[in-house]
Amino acid sequence: MTTEPRDFGREPAGRLIPWWRSYLVLLGAAWRSQFQYRANLFIMILSGVAWQGVGFAFIWVVVAKFGTIGGWSLSEIAFIYGIRLTAHGLFVVVSGRIFVLDTVIQEGEFDRYLVRPAGALAQLWNRQFYLPHLGDLLSGLVILIAAATEIPADWNVLTVGFLLLAVLSGGMIEGALQVIAASFAFRTMNTRQIRGMMDDIFSNFGGYPITIFPIAIRLILTFVIPLAFVAFFPSAVLTGRSGGLYVPEWLALMSPLAGPLLVLLAREVWRSQLKHYKSSGS
Amino acid sequence: MTGLMAYVGARLEVVDPLGIIHVSELVKDFRRPKRIKGALGGLRTLVTRESVIKRAVDGIDFTVDEGEFLGYLGPNGAGKSTTIKMMTGILQPTSGKIEVAGIVPWRERQRNALNIGVVFGQKSQLWWDLPLRESLQIIGKLYAIDPARHRANVDWFVELLDLDPFFDTPVRQLSLGQRVRGDLAAAMLPEPRILFLDEPTIGLDVVAKERIRGFLSALNREAGTTVVLTTHDLDDVERLCRRIILIDGGKVTYDGDVESLKSRFVQQRRLVVKLAAGVEWRGVGIPGVAESIGDEAVELAFDPAEIQVSELITAVLADHQLTDVAIVEPELENVVHRIYASAGMA
Ligand SMILES: Nc1ncnc2c1ncn2[C@@H]1O[C@H](COP(=O)(O)OP(=O)(O)O)[C@@H](O)[C@H]1O
Ligand SMILES: [Mg+2]
Repeated sequence: MTTEPRDFGREPAGRLIPWWRSYLVLLGAAWRSQFQYRANLFIMILSGVAWQGVGFAFIWVVVAKFGTIGGWSLSEIAFIYGIRLTAHGLFVVVSGRIFVLDTVIQEGEFDRYLVRPAGALAQLWNRQFYLPHLGDLLSGLVILIAAATEIPADWNVLTVGFLLLAVLSGGMIEGALQVIAASFAFRTMNTRQIRGMMDDIFSNFGGYPITIFPIAIRLILTFVIPLAFVAFFPSAVLTGRSGGLYVPEWLALMSPLAGPLLVLLAREVWRSQLKHYKSSGS
Repeated sequence: MTGLMAYVGARLEVVDPLGIIHVSELVKDFRRPKRIKGALGGLRTLVTRESVIKRAVDGIDFTVDEGEFLGYLGPNGAGKSTTIKMMTGILQPTSGKIEVAGIVPWRERQRNALNIGVVFGQKSQLWWDLPLRESLQIIGKLYAIDPARHRANVDWFVELLDLDPFFDTPVRQLSLGQRVRGDLAAAMLPEPRILFLDEPTIGLDVVAKERIRGFLSALNREAGTTVVLTTHDLDDVERLCRRIILIDGGKVTYDGDVESLKSRFVQQRRLVVKLAAGVEWRGVGIPGVAESIGDEAVELAFDPAEIQVSELITAVLADHQLTDVAIVEPELENVVHRIYASAGMA
């Protein structure tokens, strides 16, 4: 069989599509890549759950020993932890492995993102889907739902809505901060440490009531690395504590807006830093 | 601003209506932190923030016409890849103008991407864990290619590049030659008007190289694709390129066709004579002829503008009995080697 030669003419066959469509195509590609290894699927997710389970068990033991921490009961602390972990799970499930940007640049892979008719960040974001991330999300949801039924909160449309928005916003906060940190890789700076540090702060401090820390740390975790907006402020609002915080009450009530605002900021930072991209010498 | 660009665009249009790539006074500097050697060098490097500027591309001008097949050649570090990265929108020029199919690449990166295909020899653009077939499907969706066109292109590429034997194998398991063939198909699937290739045949065996050359030649001839190729393989160039641009130190040193390059840079022809058994070489005694005597044959280098071939042969025959005589035309390889050597770059 021989095929007819093609005359491509002057009109290319491709056209630009909306960003969300290219995002979905790329996400689909990343998922399909990961699901090539079907045998690993279950084990990988399980390992994610186990990893997060151990982290939670540690807090559980500490809190159970003291009964309460800073006036927060076991189930209330589990609630903070659940929000934090679910938000984190959402971020990592849709973001693949953003933290590989340094390597992606050094190995020249970033060049190819720039010669495709799609956003460079969307391509990096969907470079790889990492299955254990589903475990993060699953464990987060289990802890969050279990804790939500235990705490003395008044669940109605308003409070449930607030919780959902807060979780979404929490995922955005973590994602935006990671993008901002990663952006500095375009200036050939090594961002590994700063991103590692951020990850550590999120997983080590994120599950506790921020009020147990000295005021200096509290302020840092509120205004420098806005971790307090991810899970602590929403939990304080939902457990009726938002009146007596170290910040005005309206700030805690606004926490679902922190994520979208930071995402806008991250987009600007990413764009301004991308201008410094130098590719890699051969 | 837009008015100005339109004006410039219009002017370029007038200068060369066929041009699809316009590059003028293009410059790219790389700034690198200056490394300080000696005691505490690393620390002082960080503190002083001094930097050295490397000018990788230094005022390049050229226009490529639609349908051309251009060889963009030069020694390592000449600035070839840097120029390609500016034409493809990866890098922003330090100064100068660049326009590809009517678009300033760095300013409208995504729109430019629709018009160009890019293949870097050493770096794949395919999804590593997926078979080639699926990579092509994903690209089809990403570029929103009409299904009928998609199918026709894939069929043509499968045949031309012989993709069938590995079409359903994950890309990570492919040989380098198979992978580059896959990359070519992926780059050309959206029917871009221009294909940029940066050392596509590096590290490939002869068979793979042949297949790729056949594909590129068919693309250029049948599909009408404009091709810009950098390579160190001068067989690629002789087989494919009608025009060559040579660059060195970020500057254009030659722009023209392959034949003129040979005659311009290598004035010399060589006459190779084989002596009959028992005959001793006695020389020709013509000034300007360089003799080199080997075991089997004697080589006489001469400038055809100064010395007639017939004159030289007559002089040889007058004194010697021969079994064979041949005139050797310069090979591109030697020509380019000579040019690099004269620039101190070999
Ligand atoms: N990203 C970069 N950062 C700093 N210097 C670079 C970079 N890319 C290329 N160079 C330098 O610019 C010059 C030209 O490089 P390049 O365009 O890759 O040459 P070629 O492709 O012709 O071998 C070289 O001296 C190279 O070291
Ligand atoms: Mg190069």
